[in-house]
Amino acid sequence: MKTCVLNVVLMLTAMLVHPVKGADRVSFNHDVRPILSDKCFFCHGPDSERREADLRLDDRAAAIEAGAINVNKPDASELIRRVLSTDEDEQMPPPSAKLGHLSPQEIETLKAWIEQGAVYENHWAFVPLKPLPETDQSVTSLIDEAVERGLEKRGLTRQPEADRHTLIRRLSFDLTGLPPTPEDIETFVSDKSPEAYEHLVDRLLTSTAYGEKMAVDWLDIARYADSYGFQVDREREMWPWRDWVIRAFNENKPFDQFLTEQLAGDLLPDATQDQILATAFNRLHQQESEGGSVEEEYRVEYVCDRVQTFATAFLGLTFECSRCHDHKYDPITQKEYYQLFAMFQNIDEAGLYSFFTNSPPTPALELTDAATRERLDALQQKVEAIEKSGKELKAARAAVFDEWVKTQSESLSEEKTTLPGELARFPLDEVTGGKLANTVQADQLATLAGGNQIVPGRTGNAVQFSGDDALNLPLGNFGRHEPFSVSLWLQTPDVKDRAVVFHRSRAWTDAASRGYELLIEEGRLKWSLIHFWPGNAISIRAVDPVPVGEWLQVTVTYDGSSRADGLTLYVNGQPARVDVIKDNLTKEITGGGGDNITLGERFRDRGFKEGLIDDFRVFGRELTALEATAIHDEVSAESLLSVDENSEATEDRNQQFEWYLSTIDEEWAKHLKTLQESRAEWYQAADGVKGIMVMRELPEPKPAYVLFRGEYTQRREEVFAGTPAALSPFPEDAPRNRLGLAQWLIDPQHPLTARVTVNRIWQSLFGRGIVQTAEDFGSQGARPSYPEVLDTLSAGFISSGWDVKQLLKTIVMSQTYRQRSIADKKVMEDDPGNEWLARGPRFRLSAEMIRDNALASAGLLVQRTGGPPVNPYELSESFKPAAASGGDGVYRRSLYTRWRRTGPPPAMIAFDAPRRAVCTAKRERTDSPLQALVLLNGEQYVEAARVLGEHVYLEADGDVPGMIEAGFLRCLSRRPDASEVEILSALYREQLEYFRQHSEGAEQLLKIGRAPRDAAIPVAEAAAATVLAQALLNHDASVVKR
Amino acid sequence: MSLFENFSELQTRRQFFAGGRSIVGSAALASLLGPASSLFGSEAGPSGPHFAPQAKRVIYLHMVGGPAQMDLFDYKPGMQDWYDKDLPESIRNGQRLTTMTSGQARFPVAPSKFKFSQAGECGMWMNTELLPNLAQKADKICWMRSLNTEAINHEPAIAALQTGNQVTGRPCLGSWASYGLGADNENLPAFVVLVAVPSNRDQEQAISGRLWSAGYLPGKHAGVSFRSKGDPILYINNPPGVPQALRQRSIEGLNQLNNINFQQFGDPETQTRIQQYEMAFRMQASVPELTDITQESKHTFELYGEEAAKPGTFANTVLMTRRLAERGVRFIQVYHNNWDHHSNVAGRMPSQCKDIDRPCYALLEDLEQRGMLDDTLVIWGGEFGRTIYTQGKLSRENYGRDHHPRCFTMWMAGGGAKGGTIYGETDDFSYNIVKDPVHIRDFHATILHLLGFDHERFTYKYQGLEQKLTGVLPAHVINELIV
Repeated sequence: MKTCVLNVVLMLTAMLVHPVKGADRVSFNHDVRPILSDKCFFCHGPDSERREADLRLDDRAAAIEAGAINVNKPDASELIRRVLSTDEDEQMPPPSAKLGHLSPQEIETLKAWIEQGAVYENHWAFVPLKPLPETDQSVTSLIDEAVERGLEKRGLTRQPEADRHTLIRRLSFDLTGLPPTPEDIETFVSDKSPEAYEHLVDRLLTSTAYGEKMAVDWLDIARYADSYGFQVDREREMWPWRDWVIRAFNENKPFDQFLTEQLAGDLLPDATQDQILATAFNRLHQQESEGGSVEEEYRVEYVCDRVQTFATAFLGLTFECSRCHDHKYDPITQKEYYQLFAMFQNIDEAGLYSFFTNSPPTPALELTDAATRERLDALQQKVEAIEKSGKELKAARAAVFDEWVKTQSESLSEEKTTLPGELARFPLDEVTGGKLANTVQADQLATLAGGNQIVPGRTGNAVQFSGDDALNLPLGNFGRHEPFSVSLWLQTPDVKDRAVVFHRSRAWTDAASRGYELLIEEGRLKWSLIHFWPGNAISIRAVDPVPVGEWLQVTVTYDGSSRADGLTLYVNGQPARVDVIKDNLTKEITGGGGDNITLGERFRDRGFKEGLIDDFRVFGRELTALEATAIHDEVSAESLLSVDENSEATEDRNQQFEWYLSTIDEEWAKHLKTLQESRAEWYQAADGVKGIMVMRELPEPKPAYVLFRGEYTQRREEVFAGTPAALSPFPEDAPRNRLGLAQWLIDPQHPLTARVTVNRIWQSLFGRGIVQTAEDFGSQGARPSYPEVLDTLSAGFISSGWDVKQLLKTIVMSQTYRQRSIADKKVMEDDPGNEWLARGPRFRLSAEMIRDNALASAGLLVQRTGGPPVNPYELSESFKPAAASGGDGVYRRSLYTRWRRTGPPPAMIAFDAPRRAVCTAKRERTDSPLQALVLLNGEQYVEAARVLGEHVYLEADGDVPGMIEAGFLRCLSRRPDASEVEILSALYREQLEYFRQHSEGAEQLLKIGRAPRDAAIPVAEAAAATVLAQALLNHDASVVKR
Repeated sequence: MSLFENFSELQTRRQFFAGGRSIVGSAALASLLGPASSLFGSEAGPSGPHFAPQAKRVIYLHMVGGPAQMDLFDYKPGMQDWYDKDLPESIRNGQRLTTMTSGQARFPVAPSKFKFSQAGECGMWMNTELLPNLAQKADKICWMRSLNTEAINHEPAIAALQTGNQVTGRPCLGSWASYGLGADNENLPAFVVLVAVPSNRDQEQAISGRLWSAGYLPGKHAGVSFRSKGDPILYINNPPGVPQALRQRSIEGLNQLNNINFQQFGDPETQTRIQQYEMAFRMQASVPELTDITQESKHTFELYGEEAAKPGTFANTVLMTRRLAERGVRFIQVYHNNWDHHSNVAGRMPSQCKDIDRPCYALLEDLEQRGMLDDTLVIWGGEFGRTIYTQGKLSRENYGRDHHPRCFTMWMAGGGAKGGTIYGETDDFSYNIVKDPVHIRDFHATILHLLGFDHERFTYKYQGLEQKLTGVLPAHVINELIV
């Protein structure tokens, strides 16, 4: 603490001295902007809503015009007068702002700045990058020189290069996240060639562990998790995207492509499955399914999360501040926020995921391997071929129909109102013992319950619905390969904004409406088959509204095709004019519960309140138009046939032919049967394919609005896709969508993309970025300690073709990176965060590295890339306990640990792994006693120590100093010195003595973890070796990279 | 003398760390024995309190799910005449409903079926049928009948109540307290969370670490959740076969090695690590003592009831809060679940009240007897209220109630809260506030005030902004609630 205080004093002194000193030129960005930003911009900045006295100080012309600044004349500037004032009504900042006074030094700085002309500069991070200088020098040496100059200015010098043991350990963790093996160390330390270091770098960059290490940081940015988060926090499968990230890093996919594919892979021409998979990046936010939540509220939250993640990841800006108002400090307006919002909302999604089914929310990509794809294609082609043959057959049967119709003369007028394929008919006329009769299947009755009542109907009685009570029918669980039809009479008492007439489903949003349904929506009938509303469904809606207070005969049919044109809606016997609302059904409509037809009500939906339904009929085939007319006219279909072929319109003729095919023609019946069977086969195969949430751009943009205070209900001005004006211009020929947005980002003129990315990579190596606030490059963020280093690396990164491996190599090859991490006391104390880079990087390893290090040191680590997440032991101690995975699941690298947001792995949280609720650009690094408890007592670590103990015991054949040396090499990547050997030998002997006297205790200790114990080692020795190994795994140098 | 006799001599932690046998460097040892250590956030916030706090610690009893205010504390006798009549549109007034009942065709009023009577000198009308014990403390309690929030679903509502923001991820009240005041005991965290198990587990809401995260505050201010089953703190116990005395030796050995490391490299973080292990060891000694309630007197169990002896019950949890408070833990957050009474209020309310009635009374009595009530703030309440109209079936004897954000009742006691105050009034339907609203921002401002902070100046810089618990919209300390 004392050193901190001392530091603060030193820093303050430095700040005090700097700007006031005589003729020093005041830098706006360095000296003035921080003052204005902290003390003035809140009320006199970019936010027009909050602006006081119509004065803005972030704009030179405006500040001069208002008289706040009188150029070259500080004493005649209102700004200076106000900050000096002691009059409570005049002084700035006003006492009510509770910002305190400006210090005398700050006032001097402002005066000097005005005196020198009050020159404004664009915020440093918004100034475009200069191209690399024309020089033969490597970028590596350019950055070393820049750092040297900076050190010299501060009277500091670089530390000598670290020793080889330290270097290989540092490099191995930085590039692969794993410790070097004793063999690797031996090879490197004994390789005396000048290229040894570079060879090591190259080797590490080509290992598959490299991609895993790089993926961890990206998963934090992308808020990757294996569950939806929020309250219900169901698990979901997004890991194929995680594997995509690992592959992308290992293949060294150029960062501009990496970024473009994740933002807009679906919009690339001829997008591949992998490119679409990459867009899952935008769907990794938390999602809600809590009962009673408002769908639109959460949809807006999701889109805002995408905007925030995009802005933090690629722009390093706190864009989310502009959700509710213009940004207080950075030139981002609220309108511009919603212009980005417009780009990220344009998918067919729901704000809630389904509670009763486990389908991924739409839009989803069906992930197939080559064999599955081939099989699906073949099945689809088979169906299409049968459909095509159906057309030919139909043409051929026309002549047969013509002949047939002539033979039907007298019998046609026969009353025959029973139609083929009728499965049930509920006249809804009377209740007997609470039951409603079924005239087709007398034993399948419906039950009248609750507030639903029998009232006079269109014929006899009808049911009037309370809106809160369901009328369940004992049938109706149709699959999407099965043609079926429903007919009914209905009457609505008023114009329904939304009402459920009938449906087969468990619930509305809680089951994503899976099933089928006839609704009244905005006063119109809407007939739909749904796997997951809204993105996976077929749906048609009548153009004309339902008349109020009139009986209407409605027949709806479906042909088994999974296409919107396979849906038909008849009103009063005639095909209704309809709009196609959705036409994308690729998965099953059954499952999720609610397997029967229900009338008048649905779980957490709006019922058919006071609506009437009469004569409800269900058919196991697609009724034809002629039959729909017959039902309405209450005559037989046959009676509508005309034998006089010359006098009839073609339309009627076609209807009659269709009816003939559907009910009489045996060839057609065979065809339909084959078609249905082949569809069943195809759909079944397709249903088994797993889906993953991705982006799929809608053809028409959804309208976007400024949301007042960011609230979903408060729509204001309409806005259109766009990017902030203060940054580089939107490329002229780019589309106004996510793809254009990606192109805008990767334009070499863009001031932020490369800087933000390079800074994060730097941060991963040095523990802090050149800009310390990796998440905020705005005017409230930190300034870069070495702007020229950041800009040189960024320009080099772009000119290399966004080559990430090369960027890493450029940095790790530098002397700045390779220097010793420990300097003399003064340097350590003066610059504890190593801002000036007078020493090499040094910081505690990440949660993942600490666990992977223990597993690797013990030889337990399973290095298999990718696949579903696994449960290590610690998940059994999680807030939502889960049993440890079987097999080698407990020994996989930590990035494969199942990440449940409400029950994240507790030991990893103890080591500051973020919860992944939102995008995280920088991890914290704290030290707490809970960490010691994890490493000392956690099952994973005790087991690792046990196995490590066995290894070193066997390696050294029980020789204690030999064991210690082997353990040091494995855990600390170096050999012990004499005093270390002595301490550990004493510890080992003490423990051995104890365990010899307490063999039952030793037995217990050796049972921890599932790795088998090597019975060749005596119990007491094995237990003592375990404790020895624990000391090494808990050693400071085991958990800190130096 | 053998090594193992030595062990027994060193059983107590005082001997261990002060007995001169420690291998830890004397500087490190000195810092350990000093009053402050940064490991658990004992260092003060940027300013410490702004003025002398009235409350030195907080016990916050959160009733997860949202208790029905009109069945417990917001007496509405007039509703008996409204039985099964629709809530007037003029009262509902366009109110946003959850989608659980927004599709409902009718909104019939469900009067409370429980008996109310006046309690204490203050004359608080409350459900004395189910809360007879708590009623005895009516004059110690500051009743707030006019809390209100914007959120209508659990997740955002709990987040709003605890962090000031509906979107989870901000620091919660306990983290702010830890950040501002630090810990009063170097062996225990400043902010502890306890999740009680209700006797009826019909409909529990998910509770998890996201609710007590430190948000943008440093991670050490996150709540440490004590577990009701297994180890109270993750991995607090040594692996089987390793007694504490033996562990002591390995930590000594480890710290000896780390000390060499420190001598060699002079990295201050190594010193921190040495302290970290010693504190972990001390916690291993102090936590079992803390959680061992068998040492409590017969009187205690008479006061809290026999349930207090069963691990995980609300009574047991509340007893634990007193033990934590005694030991200097700054903020103790308790969750008690299953208050989400969408249906069957008649069946569920009695067992919920039975869970909490006696323990709440006992806690206030116990704190008072120990002279701790004056500087311990006890808070009770849920994340929102419930509707006067029924959700689902209505009868005189039973009904359900949906979420209602516009008004609900909370109470505070001790720690500067003014006992016997009855603050705020709602309309006849307990639907809208007609007098003295307390928005959750005001509630936060008031609690911070009791802890010695001006909520407008109690900030943390994050993303370029001075962030505060009460956010950007106006918030007021309600002086009427304060002694």
